[in-house]
Amino acid sequence: MKSNGLTEKIKKAIIEGNRKDAEELAKEAVRKKLNLMKIIEDGYIQGIQKVGELWEKGEYFLPELITSAECMKGAMGILEPELKKEKIKARFKGKIIIGTVEGDIHDIGKNLVAGMLAANGFEVIDLGADVRPETFIEKASEEKADFICLSALLTTTMLGQKKIIELAKEKKVRDKFKILVGGAPISQKWADDIGADGYGENAMAAVKVAKKIIEKK
Amino acid sequence: MNRAPRKIEGFAIEFDEERIWRHIGYKKKSKEIKESLKKIIDSEKKRLGYLLEAKAIYRILPYEKTDKHPIFQNAEKVGLCVCTIGPKLEQESAKLMRENEILRALILDALGSEAVEEVANQANIIVAEEGKRMNLRPSKRFSPGFGEWNIKEQSFIFQVLPADQIGVMINEAFMMIPRKSISFRINFFKK
Repeated sequence: MKSNGLTEKIKKAIIEGNRKDAEELAKEAVRKKLNLMKIIEDGYIQGIQKVGELWEKGEYFLPELITSAECMKGAMGILEPELKKEKIKARFKGKIIIGTVEGDIHDIGKNLVAGMLAANGFEVIDLGADVRPETFIEKASEEKADFICLSALLTTTMLGQKKIIELAKEKKVRDKFKILVGGAPISQKWADDIGADGYGENAMAAVKVAKKIIEKK
Repeated sequence: MNRAPRKIEGFAIEFDEERIWRHIGYKKKSKEIKESLKKIIDSEKKRLGYLLEAKAIYRILPYEKTDKHPIFQNAEKVGLCVCTIGPKLEQESAKLMRENEILRALILDALGSEAVEEVANQANIIVAEEGKRMNLRPSKRFSPGFGEWNIKEQSFIFQVLPADQIGVMINEAFMMIPRKSISFRINFFKK
């Protein structure tokens, strides 16, 4: 069955941040037994990419980005179980382990980054806040993750990012993951100094950095 | 005189709309903010009545009773204060986040940040006024983690102020829990 009309509607729903439509259209795709991977890639992912472009042009702001990410999450909550039922492996851009470093209980910024990465086609495993360095490394190894994303909101806790990079070296797994850092006191210079692979100033920048790295892989 | 800690409650909090918009990443002028977004902000604001538990505790110490950190130098007395809006708002924001209501979670978080800032502003006035009544000149307020005052100095404030009485603690990273809390000092000088 042709899905062109539906993917256009889906794109529109994501761009406009219309959650009800985004979810209803996902249900419609399931009902009509359409190729769900195609629906995701040509509809939802295309829509969120357009949202990213509008944000870069300064036409969209954080609330619009978030609303569209909510729509994506809502729709994926309907589509992913169906893909599983059909034993179709969802195609992700890469697997990401994300969390706020030990001692730091801030998580709203990290949650936004996790949400935007997930909305942009990454598989995201969120370890939450106040996460021990060992947990990041263990989980990333266990999950064969492509990235470890580390958030820190304080000058005292940003050292935790360095500690995790050092631990990865010590455990001889540093080359297994790309490590991205972010948070209020973090800068590109800090990322360079501690040997991180990338730095995202905000949620969309994190998506951009992750995409760039994965494309090079 | 080494004054005993005093608690402040009953804060009346008002919000500056444009500051809330800036918190959630909106740089546009107010007239361009979407009506739908304004509605969400308003509906979250309406819930604040039961989510905010604004409290503060402060104490004014003579310089000799401080840890004599260089930032207290030349002060006759030092006012130390911890303010909070309590844990309910951040718990509610976390709940919304889990429910994929990310925008509402962010708006609530922004309202919380503004609210605790407003509590600190009002507590600042009260502490400064008390110093003025002692015929002293107050400085602006400063918080640990800014300028010369390292965040680690937070431990001194919590040593001399029983902030647990208003439900505030610090963790090993000197971060206050609940997160929506502010600590500060005011130096008082001879006129």
